[in-house]
Amino acid sequence: MVQVEGLTKLYGEFTAVNDLSFSIQPGEVVGLVGPNGAGKTTTLRCLAGIIPPSRGNVRVGGHDIVRDAIEAKKQLAFFTDEPRLFDYLTVWQHLNFVARIYQVADYERIGATLLEELELANKKDALPGELSRGMKQKLAIACGLLHSPKVIYFDEPLTGLDPLGIRRMKDSILKRARAGAAIILSSHLLHLVEEICTRLLILKNGRKIADGTLAEITRKFSEQSGDASLEEIFFRATSESSTSLPPPVLPLGTK
Amino acid sequence: MIAALFYLQWQSFRNRLVTRFKRLKQPKYLFGAIVGGLYLYWYFYRVLLGGGRRTPGNPTVSPEHLVLFELGGALALFVIMLLAWVIPHERAALTFTEAEVAFLFPAPITRRNLIHFKLIRSQLRIFFSVLLLTLFSRRFGGNPLIHGLGWWLILSTLNLHFLGSSFTRTLLLDHGVSNWRRRLLVLGLAGAMATSVWFWAKSSLPALNSADIANFDSILNYAQRLLTAGPALYLLFPFRLVVRPFLAPDTLTFFSVLAPALLIFLLHYLWVIYSDVAFEEASVEASQKLATRIAAVRAGNWQAAGKKQKAKSPWFKLAPTGPLPTALLWKNLIGVGQVFSPRLWIALAAIVVMVLVFGLKDVRHDQNFSSLAAILVAAGLGYSLLLGPQLLRLDFRHDLPRADVLKTFPMRGWQIALGEILAPVTVLIAFQWLLLLAGTGLLIYLPGKQTALFLAIAAGAAVLLPVLDVLLLLIPNAAVLLFPSWIQTGKDSARGIEATGQRLIFALGQMLVLLLALVPAAAAFTGVFFLLKLALAPAAAVPFAALAAAIVVAVEAGFGVMLLGKLFERFDVTEEPVS
Repeated sequence: MVQVEGLTKLYGEFTAVNDLSFSIQPGEVVGLVGPNGAGKTTTLRCLAGIIPPSRGNVRVGGHDIVRDAIEAKKQLAFFTDEPRLFDYLTVWQHLNFVARIYQVADYERIGATLLEELELANKKDALPGELSRGMKQKLAIACGLLHSPKVIYFDEPLTGLDPLGIRRMKDSILKRARAGAAIILSSHLLHLVEEICTRLLILKNGRKIADGTLAEITRKFSEQSGDASLEEIFFRATSESSTSLPPPVLPLGTK
Repeated sequence: MIAALFYLQWQSFRNRLVTRFKRLKQPKYLFGAIVGGLYLYWYFYRVLLGGGRRTPGNPTVSPEHLVLFELGGALALFVIMLLAWVIPHERAALTFTEAEVAFLFPAPITRRNLIHFKLIRSQLRIFFSVLLLTLFSRRFGGNPLIHGLGWWLILSTLNLHFLGSSFTRTLLLDHGVSNWRRRLLVLGLAGAMATSVWFWAKSSLPALNSADIANFDSILNYAQRLLTAGPALYLLFPFRLVVRPFLAPDTLTFFSVLAPALLIFLLHYLWVIYSDVAFEEASVEASQKLATRIAAVRAGNWQAAGKKQKAKSPWFKLAPTGPLPTALLWKNLIGVGQVFSPRLWIALAAIVVMVLVFGLKDVRHDQNFSSLAAILVAAGLGYSLLLGPQLLRLDFRHDLPRADVLKTFPMRGWQIALGEILAPVTVLIAFQWLLLLAGTGLLIYLPGKQTALFLAIAAGAAVLLPVLDVLLLLIPNAAVLLFPSWIQTGKDSARGIEATGQRLIFALGQMLVLLLALVPAAAAFTGVFFLLKLALAPAAAVPFAALAAAIVVAVEAGFGVMLLGKLFERFDVTEEPVS
C-alpha cells in the first residue's frame, strides 16, 4: 500500500532523511521510532506529500506522491501531534468542508456516526476555541477518517489525551488496521509502539537502522544479553555505543 | 534577584539583535536592510533633521510661545492622566509574556521585583520612543540632549502614572468601589475643577467677543491668561513641572527645572513600588489574551484579535461534491463573516436603496451633482483597490501557517490558489458593486450633462473590477509564497530595519507588477474604444472597451492563478519558516 524507495530529504547541506526504503502492506501497523531529530516527522511529511523529497520516490496505493499527488492524497490521512483546525469553522462545518475536499457524498451519515463514536455529537456547533485539547484531537480524527483513508499516518497520536482518550485512540488505530488500512505511527511512547505495532522501523540521523517485527529486532539487538525490553533495544539501537545506556530508574524504596 | 531579571532582559535583547544580524547573511534580508537603512537615512536624516544642516542651538520659539507650549503640554498630560483614571475598567495587570509568567511567577521573586522587572522592560520601549520623538522635535531647534532627557522624564512619569493608577483602581475594586463609582468620582472632581476655573474666568477675565473668537492670537492670549492665574494655575502646576525640562532653552535652565520634575517622577515611583496590589492573576489572564491577540493579528485574523469569535453561518450551503475551490471560498467566507456578514451587506444595500428612493426624491436637480457623485464613487473604488487587498487577508496570508494541512488536500495547486483568493475577491466585488449601485442610483435620480457617459463608465467598471481584484490579490499572495518571512503570517513577524526595507521593496514590486499587468489591458481598452468610437457614441463605446480590457486582465489573472498554484506546490513548509 505504501512503497518508499531511496527517500532522501536535504536541507541545504543537512540530510534530514537519508536513502530510506521500506514498504507497508494493508493491515500493517508500522511503528516509526527514533531519538529526537532522527527524521521521523520529516519522513511522515514526505510520505504525506506535504514536503517534496529531494531524492527517491513514494507511492501511496500505487500512485506516486509527487507525480500523481491527487490520487495518492485521496487515499491517505495524516494526523499530526497538534490538531490543525480552522479557528472559525465549527465542528460540523469542518466535516462539511472536508467532505467537499474529498468529495464524500454521504458525509452527513458518516460524519454523524463519527461524531457519535468520538463523543462529539453534542459539540457540533462549537468552534475549536471552545473545545478541549482532546476534543480537538477527536475532531481532527473525525475529519481525517471521513473519507475512509486506506493509508493513515499518525505523528505522536497520544499527545494531550487523557487515559480514556488514549485507550480509544489505540482501539481506533487497531480497528482501522483490521479494516485493511496501512498505518504508520511515529511515537516516542515505546509501550504504545510495543502494544499495537506489527512492525518497527528505527531511524537515527535520518537513516534506517532497523526494520522488522518486534521479535526480529529483539533478536538482532539482544544477542549479547538475551531477552531485552523494547526500551533497552531502542537505547542499544540508537546509542553510539552500548556503554552510553542510561542507568535504570529504580522504584522508590529500592536499595 | 534583580540581577537575574536584568540578565533576562539584556540577554533577550542581545540575542534578538544577534539573530537579526545573523539573518543578514541571507540576501533578501541584506537587501531589505540596505533599502530600510536608506529609507531611514532619508526619512530621519534628510526630512526630520533637515538634510544634515546644523539646527540652531537655541530654540526659535519666543518666551511667550514657550509658556504656551508649556501650558499646552501640561494640559495634554492632565487629560491623558485623567483618562487613565476614567477609561480602564480591568484590574491591574502587568503584561508579561507567557514565558515570563511561566518562569517568573512560580519563582521566589517578590512582587516588588516583578514590578521592577516590568519597569526595566518598559524602559527599552521608552528609550526608542524618546529617540524617535527627539529626532522629530529637534527639527524645531533646541538641544537634542535636553529634548531627549525631557521626553524621557515625561514618558517615564506617564508610564509610572498608568501603572500607579491601575494599582489604585484595583485597590478601590478590592474595597468595593466599583468602576462606575470611581469614574463618577473622578469625573465629578474634574467637573468641579473645570467649574471653578469657569467661575474664576467669568469673574476675572473679560469675555471673548465674536471678533476675538475669529482671531487665533486673541484665543491664545485668553488661554494663557486663563491657565496662568486663578485655580488653573494651581491645577496645572505639577504637570507644568514635568514638561518644563523638555522645554528648557539652555543647560542652566534645564538643571534648574530638573529637580522638581525628578521629584514628581520619584513620588510616582514610590507610589508604584509601595502599592501592595495582587496583579498576578489578572496578569496571567492578560498574558494569555495578549498571546492570543498577537497570534491572531500576525496570522492576519484581525477579527479574532478584537473579540471572542462566534460561530457564523456559512454564506451558502456547501454541497459535498462539486468544484474544489468552492470549498476554500466557503471556508474563508465564514472567516470573513466574522465582520462582513451577509446580513450586513443586505442592510447596506437596503440603506442605499432607501436613501435613493425616499431621501433624494425631493432634491433639486443639479448639473454638478452627477459629477460630484462620480468623483465620490471613483474615490471609493480607488481606495477599495488600494486598501482592499491589504485589509482583506483571508487568503494565503491567513492560511499559510496551515500550509501543511492544505498540502494534504487532494487538490491541484491552482485549485488551492483560486480557492484561497476567492473570498477577499468576493468581498471586494460586493463592496465595489454596492458603491457602483449607489453612484448609478444617484445619477439616475439626479441626471446631469455627463450622466450617460458616467453610467457607461460605471457599467465598464462593473465588468472590469472583478478581474482587477483577482489580479490585485494575486500579487500579495504570490509574495507571501515567495517570501514568507517578509509578510506577516505566523507567530513571529519580521521586525527591524531589514523588515522595513523588505516591505518597501514589496510595495514597490507590487506597484511595478500591477503597472506591467495593466499595460496590455490599457492597450486593449484604448484600441477597442477608438475603433468603436468611429461608429458609436463615446458612452456606448466605453462598456465594450472595458469588456475587452477585462478579458485581457482575466487572461492575465488566469495565468497568475496557475503560477500561484505552481508556487504553492513548490512551497516547502519546512525550508522557509513562516514568520
